[in-house]
This record gives sequence, structure tokens and C-alpha cells, in this order.
Amino acid sequence: MSPRSRFTKFLDTASRSGLMVWACVLGLIGLALMSWSLFDQGWIPVMMAMSVGQGIGTLSFALFLVIVIIDLRQAEFRPSLPVAPPKPEDD
Amino acid sequence: MHISPLSWIALTCAVVAAGIMLYYLVRRPPLDAAGKSVMMLGVGVLPIMVAMIGNMEGLQATEHQAFCGSCHTMDMHIADANDPESGSLAAIHSRTIKFGDKSCYVCHKDYGMFGYAMTKLGGMGHVYMFLSEYAWYDMDEALPKIHIARPFKNDNCMQCHSTTGSIWSGVADHNGLLEDLRTGETSCVSAGCHGYAHPFSKPDEETPSDAEVHSALQAPAPEGT
Repeated sequence: MSPRSRFTKFLDTASRSGLMVWACVLGLIGLALMSWSLFDQGWIPVMMAMSVGQGIGTLSFALFLVIVIIDLRQAEFRPSLPVAPPKPEDD
Repeated sequence: MHISPLSWIALTCAVVAAGIMLYYLVRRPPLDAAGKSVMMLGVGVLPIMVAMIGNMEGLQATEHQAFCGSCHTMDMHIADANDPESGSLAAIHSRTIKFGDKSCYVCHKDYGMFGYAMTKLGGMGHVYMFLSEYAWYDMDEALPKIHIARPFKNDNCMQCHSTTGSIWSGVADHNGLLEDLRTGETSCVSAGCHGYAHPFSKPDEETPSDAEVHSALQAPAPEGT
């Protein structure tokens, strides 16, 4: 199975709430690391915030975007205006 | 510990974002349009604000002595720089307002076009060397082994000491070595001139006495240097 079809299958079967739980957990870890550097500006907190913290935060946001993609794939798009009735043919 | 106003904004964003995420984890509200809008705020917009402000504050923090001194191998360098009795170049410069709390950065940064980025890259090298080697040494072991990665550039001294002022030019050694000093052939911080910036880290025989350093540094007016 190609990576693309594997990803498509994942989008079809993944649980949105499960993904959001992971997004929240990762987001909280990322936020904690990023906030740590605001209190303690030694090299470990600053570098952790700007590398690991932001990486985890990005992953969290990426999971949220996956949820949006899943929703967009399942959405039924309707035209915003009703289709105009056919004009009566001129006699 | 000083927290800047910008950091307070970041902390507020972090608290609100954490609140939104915790609320989702505990209550599991439906992910309809309104729910996703709120989560967009909690997982996207607010953490991005925290990251952006964190970057600004973090990069600014790297310019302070507290950052450089957070590796134990720099303890003696920081202690000497902040010692009011010390006559080392590092201490003399750290006592001036322009250097002060940022004396490590002001002296050691790269002043070229891409200076900021190059300085940060150099700093990453320091972190690598610390993690791979010096972190495991105590101060006595580390001190003889720590050395500057590249010879200290006179260009850095010349950011303030332009080499054109009358008092500076009045020193015979400066005149005799003018071209060498400007090109960096002869270092301002060599043992025969103003001495090492961190003399305690050098063997005694390479270190000029305090009296020699003081006599070389008796140029009182900064405008003329």
C-alpha cells in the first residue's frame, strides 16, 4: 500500500476526538516547555523551548489540521444559492 | 527573576490555551463548528503567540550573562567579570553601562553582516561541546581545556575603540602597530599588550600582572579612544 493510500485510509478511519485528545496532550506539553523559558532563562529551558517545545507544539497543531481535513473530506458542499429554474423556451 | 511585559502576555496566552485544552480533555465537547473554532484558538492561535514571544524573549535571553553563565564551566568567567576588585579586561568592560549584564555577548558577538545568525551558530557549537565533553568535567578539569574557538578579533574591540582618537594615537605602541592592530595581526588581548580578557584561565607565566594591565589601560576619556 502506497503512503498516499495509507494516509487516505487513515483519514477515513481515524477518530476525530481521539486525535483531538492527542493534540491537547501534546499541546499542553509544548506549552509547558515554552512557558518554562519565560521564567528561567538558562540555556536548558531556552533551548528546550525553541526546539523540543515548539516541535511538540507544531505536532499538536498538525493533528488539529488533520481533524479539519477529515471534516472537509466528509462535508457535503451545497451551492449557497438555489439553482435557477430553467427559463421557459420562447415560442 | 524579571518577567517582561511581553512575557506576561505570553503567559496569559499560555494559561488561556491550557485552559481550553484541559476543558476539552475533561468535558469532551462536540467538535462542531463552534467547538473547532475554540480549539483552533487553544491549539493553534494562542500557542503560536506563545512560541513567537518565546522566540523573541529566548533570543534576547541569550545575550545576557545569566544565559552564558548557566553552564557551570563559565562560573569563574562570570564571577571574575562581576568582581569589582578584578582588573581583568572582562571585569573592566563589564563595569561599563554599554556592556554590563551583556558583557559576554557584546565582546564575543560577530559584528559582520550576518553577525547575529553567526553568533547563534557559534553558540550552538558551544552547546554541542558542552554536552559532548565539558559537562562532565568539574571546574578544575575544565579550566585548562576551555579555549576560545577562534582567536579573538580586534574588530570587536574596534567597535568602541576606533583606533583613530587622539588619546589612543598618543600611545606609542598603538602607532607602531597600527596596521597590525587593524588587520588583526597583533591581538589587543595578547599577553604583551592589554593582557588576556580572562587571565585566571591562563597559565601564570602568560598573564601580565594587574599593575601592567592597569598601566596599559590608563586612557580615561572614552571619546578619545
